[in-house]
Amino acid sequence: MSIRHALLGLLAQKPRHGYELRAAFEAVVGGSEAWDVKPAQIYTTLDRLEEAGLVERHSDLGEGSEPARRVYALTEPGRAALHEWFAAAVEAQHQRDEFFVKLMVALFSGEAKPERIIQTQRVHLYKEMHAMTTLRDSYDPRCAMAQILLLDKAIMHLEADLRWMDITEMRIEAIKGQPFPEPEIRPRGRPRKGDTGSTFPPPGSVRSDQ
Amino acid sequence: MTIITTSQLTKIYGSGPTAVTALDRVSLSVEPGEFVAIMGPSGCGKSTLLHLIGGLDKASGGSIAVDGHNLNDLGDDELTELRRRKMGFVFQFYNLIPVMTAAENAALPVTLDGVRPAEAQKKAAEWLERFGLGERLNHRPDQLSGGQQQRVAIARALVAEPQLILADEPTGNLDTTSSDEIAGLLRQVSKEYGRAVVMVTHDPRIAAYADRIIFLKDGKVVEETILEKKSKTH
Amino acid sequence: MNIQLTLAYRYLWGRKLRTTLTTLAIIFGVLLIFGMNTVMPTMIAALQANVQGAEGNVDFTITSASGGSFDPAIVEKLWQVDGVRAISPSLQRALNLPLDYLDGDPARPDTLNAVNLVGVTPEVARSVRAYPIVAGRYLDDSDNASAVITQTLADAFSVKVGDTLRLPSAAGMVELTVVGLLPGRIAPGNEEVLVPLAQAQKMTGETGKVNVIELNIEAFAGQERRARVQTDLEAALGENLRVGTLMSGDELFAALEMGQIALSIFGALALFMGGFIIFNTFRTVVTERRRDIGMLHALGATRRTILGMILTEGLIQGLLGSGLGLFFGYLMAVGVMRLAQGPMSAFINIQLGWPVISPGLVILSVVAGVGVTVVAGLIPALRASRVTPLEALRPSLAEVAEKRDAGYGALAGLVVLVLSIAAIFSGQAAFIIPGGFAFLLGLVLVAPALVRPFANLFGRVIALMYLRAGIGGLAQNNLSRQPSRVAVTASASMLGLAVIVAAGGLVSSMAGLLGGMIKDSLGSDYLLVPPAIGVWGTNVGATPALAESLREIDDVAAVSTFRYGTSSSNGQAISLIGIEPVAFQQVSGLMFSEGSRAAYAEVASGRVLIVNGPFLIATGTQVGDKVELLTPNGYVSYRIAASATDLLNAKLTTAYLSQENLQADFGASEDVFLQLNLEPGADREAVGARIKTLAADYPQFKVISGADYYASIMAQMDAAFFGIIALFIILAFPSLIAMLNTLTISVIERTREIGMLRAVGATRTQIRSLVVAEALLLAAIGTALGILGGLYLGYVFVAAIEIMFPMGYYFPLAGILAAIAIGLLFGALAAIIPARQAAGMNVVEALRYE
Repeated sequence: MSIRHALLGLLAQKPRHGYELRAAFEAVVGGSEAWDVKPAQIYTTLDRLEEAGLVERHSDLGEGSEPARRVYALTEPGRAALHEWFAAAVEAQHQRDEFFVKLMVALFSGEAKPERIIQTQRVHLYKEMHAMTTLRDSYDPRCAMAQILLLDKAIMHLEADLRWMDITEMRIEAIKGQPFPEPEIRPRGRPRKGDTGSTFPPPGSVRSDQ
Repeated sequence: MTIITTSQLTKIYGSGPTAVTALDRVSLSVEPGEFVAIMGPSGCGKSTLLHLIGGLDKASGGSIAVDGHNLNDLGDDELTELRRRKMGFVFQFYNLIPVMTAAENAALPVTLDGVRPAEAQKKAAEWLERFGLGERLNHRPDQLSGGQQQRVAIARALVAEPQLILADEPTGNLDTTSSDEIAGLLRQVSKEYGRAVVMVTHDPRIAAYADRIIFLKDGKVVEETILEKKSKTH
Repeated sequence: MNIQLTLAYRYLWGRKLRTTLTTLAIIFGVLLIFGMNTVMPTMIAALQANVQGAEGNVDFTITSASGGSFDPAIVEKLWQVDGVRAISPSLQRALNLPLDYLDGDPARPDTLNAVNLVGVTPEVARSVRAYPIVAGRYLDDSDNASAVITQTLADAFSVKVGDTLRLPSAAGMVELTVVGLLPGRIAPGNEEVLVPLAQAQKMTGETGKVNVIELNIEAFAGQERRARVQTDLEAALGENLRVGTLMSGDELFAALEMGQIALSIFGALALFMGGFIIFNTFRTVVTERRRDIGMLHALGATRRTILGMILTEGLIQGLLGSGLGLFFGYLMAVGVMRLAQGPMSAFINIQLGWPVISPGLVILSVVAGVGVTVVAGLIPALRASRVTPLEALRPSLAEVAEKRDAGYGALAGLVVLVLSIAAIFSGQAAFIIPGGFAFLLGLVLVAPALVRPFANLFGRVIALMYLRAGIGGLAQNNLSRQPSRVAVTASASMLGLAVIVAAGGLVSSMAGLLGGMIKDSLGSDYLLVPPAIGVWGTNVGATPALAESLREIDDVAAVSTFRYGTSSSNGQAISLIGIEPVAFQQVSGLMFSEGSRAAYAEVASGRVLIVNGPFLIATGTQVGDKVELLTPNGYVSYRIAASATDLLNAKLTTAYLSQENLQADFGASEDVFLQLNLEPGADREAVGARIKTLAADYPQFKVISGADYYASIMAQMDAAFFGIIALFIILAFPSLIAMLNTLTISVIERTREIGMLRAVGATRTQIRSLVVAEALLLAAIGTALGILGGLYLGYVFVAAIEIMFPMGYYFPLAGILAAIAIGLLFGALAAIIPARQAAGMNVVEALRYE
């Protein structure tokens, strides 16, 4: 997972202690709003990395009354692991999508109008995108390009969602006319004649709204 | 005080069985300094709405008022004058005159209004400098990139100091980076210079710059979304 | 600078090639109008003086009522009369020569027994008549005992320039130094001896007196104007002097007037063609700039601003084109005059000076040039001003409207065509000539609808020529795509080529007519010609004995004579020609425009006339009418059996009747003109010699071989017609410009398409072929229409002349061949520049072109 590799990368820059690592990570990903990491998560990850021999721990004697802190540094196997990560592509994330599920439920249950569901979601996404656009434009490209890039990514994903919604909205009638996918009951009994299953939902069009 | 008010605005093309209702009883209003995006699928009537607001086309029914003038009551010459003084246009294809320089193009509306060309071009140059084109005043359109041409077009829309800017797919012909620049510029026009901007677009990313989005479908307003409360402080 | 001016200037400057081509069209139109109208009056004035001089015609001749001499002081009074252009007082006397004065041989009859002494003030005389000098010089003020004589007289006296001529006079024998020679007279008699006025007065003893004042009035004065001048002259002259006019002069003026009108028509046609080219350009300009215009409109330009912008462009081009047109027109005038000097002096002795620039003409040319440009630009400009701002955003809306226009136009054109064809059957001059132009207009209107079928038709041919790669089909489709533009271009070429075909039709019909007439009227084997052909009254005839003795010669098959008499009807002077109907038919003949040869028999049977066209018009009669003719014994009624003419009497108000009736009613029995035919296989030399011997007793007649005469006249005519055709070919040039213009526009417009074609693999050669094929197609359409229009126009001209003059329509094969050759040649020429431009395009830039 990328926190692991991000920590390895930050340690490749220079040895750091735990608190410093967390701050640096947050700076890279664009602030705690963008990616909130708990300190415990950092330390757990560092422990695992140490166990795997990818980092090594030194003790830094605190000056005066300061307690001694643990300082981490990258090992050679750690550097190798980092390069292995660089060399490989990152898998695209096909995550569970709550909105998609909500839309499907609305369709089969008949409890809510799917057009309404889409419009509500769309308004929400536009507001979010407007906020992100405003935020992005408030950054100075001369010193905050990392933040701008991250926001751009988010904006573009929102854009993709909105476009997908436009397409979906136009196809709602078509979905309504199709048989709804029934659960496939595998272990017991043979499939009934004529039940060829369904290709629905279309693959590859979902993503998390996280 | 609103700058645009439409009431039951209707536009029907053709007649008899082949008649197409492009706009169906649209009522809306736009306030000074507001940045409004009109969205909707192709054929939803968004361009028709913009053309009616701009007085480029005549309504079939309902009323439309721009800055207190009821457009239905105006003749061609009066409409022309209203356009010249109260509105600025930004088109998808920039529509710059190929034989004129950037400054001359941007100065056109005031030149057409009878201002001396030197004075008009000085005014145009001020806008062009604000938009980062100070170095390109004497370039011809074919010597400018698409984004630069569109910035000239926005300067042209602003040079007569109109209170209303109408933009028809202003980024339709531009790449992503230039599109963002132009959309940001339009927002700046609204926020910094206090002009009302009405923009037709089908690009969600561009629409997100607006304060308010009006969704049209089949000639009707299906939703109005306020993205940002208009603040008086800007 | 005003915004319209700025925009107009920028657009013009931005499209240099097109601007040049459009301006070229205006230059050409103005050049033609200005050049032609500068050259023609100069030439016609020279021609007028010359022709009149040669024919012995001036506008008015003033003589004393008593026939005596008078004081020339009256000239001062005559100058007061409005319209008088030139006055020359002279003293003219026939000097009778003593018997055998020349040869001193009483055995041989004298060929010359009198000369005509003419005393003039040298330079003044030249203002009335041309005295072309073939050798030596003309008289000048310092001359005393000097003379200019005719070549024939010099031959008779065996003298040359510098020799002394001895003549008997009231003051005894006078010796004159011959200083110059005039051209020989075709017919003998009227041999002039031109001397200074004082010398003539001395020789005749009429000191300080003159007996003839010759007077010319402004050129091209109409019938009414001439009548008024005559009345004014008569008032100025008082009782003792009278004014005489020569009838044939009117006809001559009518002919010159026709020439002037024809030239103006061609100038107008040239400008009209220019108008088409400009119209075409502006229409393209407006279509091309629809989005710009819509945007301007959206930004707040009023209709008037946009109209003004387009018209300013037209105005700039119009002024520029007119200015250059004037300049080149002057150069052309100078050139034409230099070129014309040679051939013209060969047979009509004209001295052409430098062209005279008339301020009126300059203004007219500029007004015409600028006017046509602005008017041609007006329709597109109006259309531009109606471009709605919406079209800035949706430019495709425009094309539909244009197609619909074409449909209505074609319908209107069809109506016009039908009307103009109806006009030709009306037989009314008032309808026929406008009908010709209506026909052209109709073709112009119908043209857009014809483009597609024509393009399909010729496209097949072109496709065969460019079988590889299907370029022919592409060219054809390109043309069909812009039918109205192609139609306008084709119309411009059509007008040019129509003029050529029409001219061909007219010229070949005229040549056919004149040739036929000369053959019929003068085509007999031998002619005995009096000194003045056609002005019979001045001739001394022969008794019937001459004709009788000629008939007795072996191998003479038939002799026909003309006898001459005069009469009047309703106050109109009429010249009567007495014929022997049977013999006349054998030897000569009339050209019938109404009635047939059966009329000869009627003429022989009683008081029946065959009359010519001028007679019918002058007397207001029709074939079948009775007409009262004045005889010495009162009025006698004759019936008109037919309308016909021969060459010699074509211009005079003439009636043909039998010699018996001429003698019985009018008492005239002298033969004034004799024609005879030989038996087939006769020994021409021997018979010719016998005829000449017989005729020697009648020195007033000159014996001519008809065949020689015919040949010499036809040669002159061919030369004249060749010049006319050359002139017409110049008129085809605007069609070249039109095609060049359209092809260039179409290449510019399709830049991106051509880039695409190149990108997908079309070679430069293929692109070049594409443009050339398009040009040839365009030319073929224009040529086809031009031939159609030209045939009709030519027919119309002939039909209009036919009302006055019997004239058959000859199919102008030569004109058509010329039109096809010129059309296709110009098409290919017009393609050169655009084809190179298209083929030479940079693919990447072409693809990016907006």
